[in-house]
Amino acid sequence: MRRALVVFLVPLLLGAPPARAADTVVAETLDNGLRVILLEDHRSPIVSSQVWYRVGSRNERRGATGIAHFLEHMMFKGTPTHGRGQFARIVEQNGGQDNAFTSQDVTSYFVNIAADKLDLVIELEADRMHNLLLDPKEIESERQVVIEERRTRTEDDPGGFLGEEVASIAFKAHPYGSPIIGWQEDIARITPEEIRAFYRTYYVPNNAMVVAVGDFRAGEVLERIKRRFGGIPRGAAPPPVLTVEPPPNGERRVVVRKQAELPIVYLAYHVPNQRSNDAAPLEVLSTILSGGRASRLYRYLVYERRLALEAGGDYSYFSIDPNLFWFWATAMPDQTPETLEKELLAQVERLKTEPVTDEELRRAKNQIEAAFVFQEDSIHRRASLLARFEVIGGYAQKDQFLAKIRAVTSADLVRVAGSWFPEDKKNVGILLPKP
Amino acid sequence: MTRSLTTRFASLMLLGLASPAAAAPIAHREVLPNGIVLLVAERPAVPIVAVRALVQAGAVHDPPDRAGLANLTGVLLTRGTTKRTGPELDSAIEFVGGSLEAGAGRDSIGASLRVLKPDLGLGLDLLSEVILSPTFPPGEVTRKIGEIQASIKRSEEDPGAVAARALARLVFPGHPYGLPVEGTRESVARLTRDDVVKFHRERFRPDATVVAVVGAVTVDEARREVLGRFGSWARPASPLPGVPTASAGREPREEVIPRDLTQATIMFGRQAIRQTDPDYFALVVASYVLGGGSASRLYTRVREEGGLAYSVYSYVSPSKYGSAFFVSAQTRIAEVPKVRTLLNAELARMTREPPSDAELSLAKAYLVGSFPLRLDTSAKVADFVSAIEELGLGLDYADRYKERVARVTAREVQRAAQRFFIPETFNRVVVGRTP
Repeated sequence: MRRALVVFLVPLLLGAPPARAADTVVAETLDNGLRVILLEDHRSPIVSSQVWYRVGSRNERRGATGIAHFLEHMMFKGTPTHGRGQFARIVEQNGGQDNAFTSQDVTSYFVNIAADKLDLVIELEADRMHNLLLDPKEIESERQVVIEERRTRTEDDPGGFLGEEVASIAFKAHPYGSPIIGWQEDIARITPEEIRAFYRTYYVPNNAMVVAVGDFRAGEVLERIKRRFGGIPRGAAPPPVLTVEPPPNGERRVVVRKQAELPIVYLAYHVPNQRSNDAAPLEVLSTILSGGRASRLYRYLVYERRLALEAGGDYSYFSIDPNLFWFWATAMPDQTPETLEKELLAQVERLKTEPVTDEELRRAKNQIEAAFVFQEDSIHRRASLLARFEVIGGYAQKDQFLAKIRAVTSADLVRVAGSWFPEDKKNVGILLPKP
Repeated sequence: MTRSLTTRFASLMLLGLASPAAAAPIAHREVLPNGIVLLVAERPAVPIVAVRALVQAGAVHDPPDRAGLANLTGVLLTRGTTKRTGPELDSAIEFVGGSLEAGAGRDSIGASLRVLKPDLGLGLDLLSEVILSPTFPPGEVTRKIGEIQASIKRSEEDPGAVAARALARLVFPGHPYGLPVEGTRESVARLTRDDVVKFHRERFRPDATVVAVVGAVTVDEARREVLGRFGSWARPASPLPGVPTASAGREPREEVIPRDLTQATIMFGRQAIRQTDPDYFALVVASYVLGGGSASRLYTRVREEGGLAYSVYSYVSPSKYGSAFFVSAQTRIAEVPKVRTLLNAELARMTREPPSDAELSLAKAYLVGSFPLRLDTSAKVADFVSAIEELGLGLDYADRYKERVARVTAREVQRAAQRFFIPETFNRVVVGRTP
């Protein structure tokens, strides 16, 4: 747990059902710019409290990659009021579970805890939003922990290693090309002064949101949040990310050799994000390609052809800037990466010419809608979903999401595949096992 | 997230249990005429139903030269029945946005169904088919054997999996728990369709089966739906075959498994006790103080102060016929000796002195207080109630757990440590290069 980061190939589970009468979100922006989003859910005497900062690896500059994630680790290292490790200690002492993650776009801290402890969590979160110690000695010690984390996730993990390489060739300008955890050289170099400046720039109320779902009265909680967070001064508006990724001018390819057992193939294409009308079709396409054992890539590459042990496709609907649509497959022991790449490409090409069947389209839509309902079962996931939609423009977009999905036609899918998966502009990564 | 590493053993969820209120039973329980134990928990708020069916047919029941047979049988359940082929089963459940997965654990084969409420009938049709009338088509058997062999091969890339497998062999010599659930590449190569058919015929019986239905369903409805599909399943006259409990391990051993990685994975393990042993609750508290959370001694010494690891923890892993206690850390090659010394020193210190009042109260407060968070979805409740039934712990186990953990004294923690934490009693595995 704790100080973890989101690996970018995690498929997104989308969802929450259409708003019911009882599901009234209370949203307010405080005078200092802090966004507050509250939703009562009285099924269990528990609450999920989350603080999301609009900062991730996207906001990093070259030479200081990994600083957002490094700072996430430091958020557990104490303030003058609550010393090192006290945050987690107090949460555990009160029967709560806490954790955090850093993604390309955001850094999120959450505590799931008995509802009557919510005020305590609000106090702790307000404290570390503004009063973090950032002791240089603690930074040095934590630097080693982050490097160990990088070893686990990237250096010693073939899939993580290849993913990092492909992202780094796919983006020539935009910071999405850098790993969330940062390059080893940058993690080793980043100074305490840089971390402090990063904290002062991005950890301001006007760059954050507090989201809570659970067994409370929204009006009371809003007052408590105002009391605890209201005194934190608004900061200067953080600098916007201005970089626009230029269009690719050709194919990019990377081949790495690493101690591993099976070859891996990644294909990645630049695609638009949710601001585009093509986003909903891309989301449906992702489900058609890899939502379950009836999905295309599983059915053809794993089941029928027995070329792959695993295969899938993934689209980041919630990405703030345009990102990549990934295809990936792990080869069966007797298969070559060349065959696998060829067959993956054939599946991509097929999408451009042959409409998906009516059954495939209906199945994908049903899967996306059902996922929304399943998500309702967990207060933690309800809160996360509100936050995700808020990040891309407003929690209320959640209510339009399913309508957009329902409107997708098979002709849309042919069109977006043709527009966004150009054969001569693909990014390819191959991992060859080194004996 | 490092805490997710500790959930590698599903039975670990039994560690953190205690009921919020002793009054309401966690589920309705009844034994159907043919011996099936039916458990029902009504959670009406969200229109979904989760069903978990467990059959006492786990890897522990594998014949000695057929390691992996239960696992192969489990994954083949959804690959064809008398009514539908594997792809037809996939399409049927996925078309309604649901899921149906089956597989083996150490003690049982489990099938998990998740559907929207209106699809419960269809879901139970499919669930009953895969349990009662799987056909194990020869082509599917061949395909699955190939896939299992490939995933065993790939797991050699994962140092945690390699270490856990090697350690299980040392901790449970001569007992099925010493062998991997999935078998070995050699043992899987020996498995035949006849083995699978025979295993299913002999092991699948109503009096060895638990069905837990949780969600938007009433007890009457669940009984009617389950009886309608499983009611005519006849109970054989023969008694249920027994399984030997793991005998005490031999002299502890050490194994170094070389890998060309940047980190070394260190794992210590030994046999421990199950929930039925009076010292179990003291052991759970002791393990939490030692390496349970981010306030634990190992986390503090090795990670917070030493900067030596991202992942370091200890946990108790009880199963039906035996139990183990593990300590694990991943660190850079150069620091392996230092981390080993720290792990040994902290284990020994637990035996020498009782935990402080603060440590004890934190561990107990967390273990008791976090209980409601662990049962916050229908699927988690279904997993929990079916597991405690299978382990014979009784539906009041959650209440007993809370009460027993709350009563554990510092002296009992020390005594449990003296019984289980003596460093010389551990088997040890290191995966990676050694300095």
